[in-house]
Amino acid sequence: MKTLTNAPFWLLLVVIAVVAAAPVALNNVSLREDFFLILMLIILASSTNIIMGYTGYVSFGHIVFFGTGGYIAFFLMQSLQLHFVLAALCGGIAASVMALLIGVPVLRLRGAYFALATIGINEAMRSFVTNFEPFGGSIGMFFNFSVYDAYGGAKNAGQLAYYGIVAVALLTVAASFLIKKSKFGLGLMAIREDQDAAQVLGIDPARLKVLTYTISAFFPALAGAIFFFKNGIIEPGPAFELHRSIEALVMVMLGGYGTVTGPIVGAIVYDRLRSTLITAPPINLGTLTINLSNFHLVIAGVLLLAIVLFVPAGLIGWLRQRFAPVRRYLE
Amino acid sequence: MSSKLSHLLFLGGLLMLVMLAACAPAPTPAPTAAPPTAAPKATEAPKPAAPTTAAAPAGAAKRLLIGFTASQTGAQQVASQKQTEGLQLWLDDVKKAGGIKLKDGTLYMPEMKFYDDESKTDRVQALYTKLINEDKADFLLSPYSSGLAKAAAVVSEQNDKVMITAGAADDATMEQGFKKTFQLYTPASRYLTGAVDMFKKFVPDGKKIAIVYEKDSFSTSVAQALQPYAKSAGYEVVVYEGYDTGTTDFAPFINKITATNPDAIMGGGHFADGTTFAKQLFEKKVPVKFVSLLVAPPEPTFKDIGDAAVAIIGPSQWEPQVTYSTESAKAAGLPYYGLSAKAFTDAYVAKYKSQPSYHSAGGYAQGLILQKAIEDADSIDPAKVVAALDKMKLMTFYGVIQFSTEAKTHGKQAAHDMVYMQWQKNAAGALVTQIVWPLEAKSADAILRK
Repeated sequence: MKTLTNAPFWLLLVVIAVVAAAPVALNNVSLREDFFLILMLIILASSTNIIMGYTGYVSFGHIVFFGTGGYIAFFLMQSLQLHFVLAALCGGIAASVMALLIGVPVLRLRGAYFALATIGINEAMRSFVTNFEPFGGSIGMFFNFSVYDAYGGAKNAGQLAYYGIVAVALLTVAASFLIKKSKFGLGLMAIREDQDAAQVLGIDPARLKVLTYTISAFFPALAGAIFFFKNGIIEPGPAFELHRSIEALVMVMLGGYGTVTGPIVGAIVYDRLRSTLITAPPINLGTLTINLSNFHLVIAGVLLLAIVLFVPAGLIGWLRQRFAPVRRYLE
Repeated sequence: MSSKLSHLLFLGGLLMLVMLAACAPAPTPAPTAAPPTAAPKATEAPKPAAPTTAAAPAGAAKRLLIGFTASQTGAQQVASQKQTEGLQLWLDDVKKAGGIKLKDGTLYMPEMKFYDDESKTDRVQALYTKLINEDKADFLLSPYSSGLAKAAAVVSEQNDKVMITAGAADDATMEQGFKKTFQLYTPASRYLTGAVDMFKKFVPDGKKIAIVYEKDSFSTSVAQALQPYAKSAGYEVVVYEGYDTGTTDFAPFINKITATNPDAIMGGGHFADGTTFAKQLFEKKVPVKFVSLLVAPPEPTFKDIGDAAVAIIGPSQWEPQVTYSTESAKAAGLPYYGLSAKAFTDAYVAKYKSQPSYHSAGGYAQGLILQKAIEDADSIDPAKVVAALDKMKLMTFYGVIQFSTEAKTHGKQAAHDMVYMQWQKNAAGALVTQIVWPLEAKSADAILRK
C-alpha cells in the first residue's frame, strides 16, 4: 500500500475535509446545504468514474444503486428502527450484492450493449419498486417527524447527515485513488485500452470488472441512504431518476475521466454552472423573455458534446497533458 | 479516449437533449400576462404595476418576508406558475390596502422571495434553508406538489417556521406529526369520494365502477381511498388498475373496462394522461355514462379535445363559479374573510388575461390565510400565529378552512370541500365548465355521457 504514503493522496483528502468543515466551523447552515449537494455529486461522479474512467464501461444507469441504497436504508430505518448509519451500511452492502449479481451477466456485454443494459436495469428497478408494496409502492415511504428525535431532533439529524456525506465523499475519493494507483487499477486500465490484449497478458477481465462494478455501487448507495434520510421521504421517481446518471457522466467528462481529481472538479464546476443558470436573471429581448433556467439541461448536453469533441481528456486531463509537473500532484 | 467511448458519450449527449425535450414543461394552458416568474430566480417580488400608495406612510411599515420555492422549470411548472400568480395577486391587494395592520398600529408590508426548485426534491431543502437562514424569511409557503412540499416541510419544521401548503394534497404529507405546517387543499383521500356520492344520485341503477389511476403518490392515494369508499357504498369495483406515469396508450385498460361493462370510470392522474385517457374513451366509444378524472378536467385547455370532453367530470379545489359568500357563511354560522370569488376572478383576469384555475385560487388563499392568522394572533410570533391557525374556522372565497388539531394529523385540512365541475355545451354549442356537485353549489345540472 505504497499509496498510503503518497503525499498527493493525503493532500487531496485533507483539502476536501478542510473545505467540508468550513460550514460547520462558520456555523453556516445554507453553506452546509450547498456543500451537501456538491459532496453528493462528487460521490456520484467519482463512483461512476471508477467503472467508467478506469474500466471504460459507461454505466448510464448507475443511479440505480443510489435509489436501491436509499430504499433499503429507508425501509430499515422505518420498519426496524435501525440507526441511520447501520441502515446506510446495509443499503450500501445490498447495492453491492446487487451489482455483483447483475455484473456477472451484464459485464459480458461491451460498448453500447452494456450502456443500454444499465439503463434497462434502472428502469426495471424503478418499475419493481413502484409495484412493491413493502416499499410503499408508487406512494413511496415517509418518516414520521418523530423519527428524528432519536438523533436529537431534525436539526441535529441534518447535521449528522452532513457528517455522513462528508465521510462517504472522503471514502469514495480515497477508494478511487487507491484503485487507480494499485495493480488492480492497472489491470482495469489495461481492460479499458484493449480487453483482449489484457486477457493475453494474464488479466482476468470478468473478475476485475465485476469487482469494480461491485465497489462502484457501494458509494452511491450510501449517498442515497443519507440523502433520503435527510429528505424524510423517498419515492420511486426521484430515487431512480435517469438524468442524474447522465449528469454524473457529464461531471466525469468535464473534469477528466480516468483521473481521481477530475470527477471532483467536474462535480463542483457542474453544480456551480447549474446553480448559476437556474439563478440567472432572465434575458429580455423585446417581447421575448429567455429564462436561462430552462436551458440548463441543454447546456449540459452541449457541454458533453463539446468536451467529447474538443477536450476529450477533460479539465484535469488537459492540465496533466499540457503541464507535465502537474501530473505529480493531480491524479 | 477510445473511439467507442467517444461514440457512447456522444450518444449520452444526445440522450441528455432528448431527455430535455421529455422534461420540457407543458405549454401554459392559457395565455397569461407577464407572470411574476419572469423575475430573477432569487426573486424579490417585482414591484406591482398598480399604484401602491398605501394608507400608511411609506417607511412606517415593517417588512414581512414570505419565502417559498416555485417550479419555474420541470414537470410542475404550469400549476406552480398559476399558484405563484395567485399569490402575487394577494400581495398586490395587501399592498394596495397598506399592509397587514396589528391592533397596536404596527404595520407589516409583505414581500415575497422565491427560488426555482426545478420541480425536483434535490434542491428544495437547500433552498428552504437559504430562505430561512440567509434571507431571514418570516413565514414560508410550500412549493407546488406533495413530494416537494414534504421535503420543504422537514426543513421548516426543523427551524420552527410556520408554513402554509397549497398544491400538496397527499394525506401522508400531513400525517408526519408536523407542528407548524398547515394544509390548505382538501386531502387526496377526499378527491373522488364525492364523485361516488354524485354517481349514486345521478345513476341510481349503477352497480359497477372501474378505477384506473396513475401510479404516482398523489393518484394512488386518491385511488386507495376511493376503492373502499365505493365498496362501502355498495358498488362492485370491477377494474382496479394503475398505469405508469407517462402512459399514452390506454388500449389495454379500455379493453379491460369494456370487458367488465362498468357504469362509471373514475381515476386518472395528471393533465397529459387524463386528457389522453378521456380522448381514447371517446374514440373507442366506451359506453359508460359517468366519467370522473383527476386534475385534467379543471384545466381550461382540457376543452381542446373537443367532444371528448363533454360530460367529463373533474374534482376541483375551487372553480370561478363557486358561491361562497358572506350570506352562505352566515347561513353556515361562520365568519367570512376576504374578497369574493367574483372579485378574485375579475382581478385575476384583469392582471393575467386568463381564467384562474384552482391552483391560482390556492396561491391567493395561502396568503389570505396567513394574513388572517397574523391579524388574529395580533403578532408575527410563530407560536401565536400557530395558535391562531389552530383556532381558525372561517369561510373565504376559496371555501371553508379549518385545520386538524390532533397530534397525528396536526395541520391537515379538515373542512375544505371539493367541488365537481363538468364540461358541457352551452346554447351556442361551445364547451363551458359548470359546477355540478355539491348540489347546493351547482351552477347547472349534471349531464350523463351518451
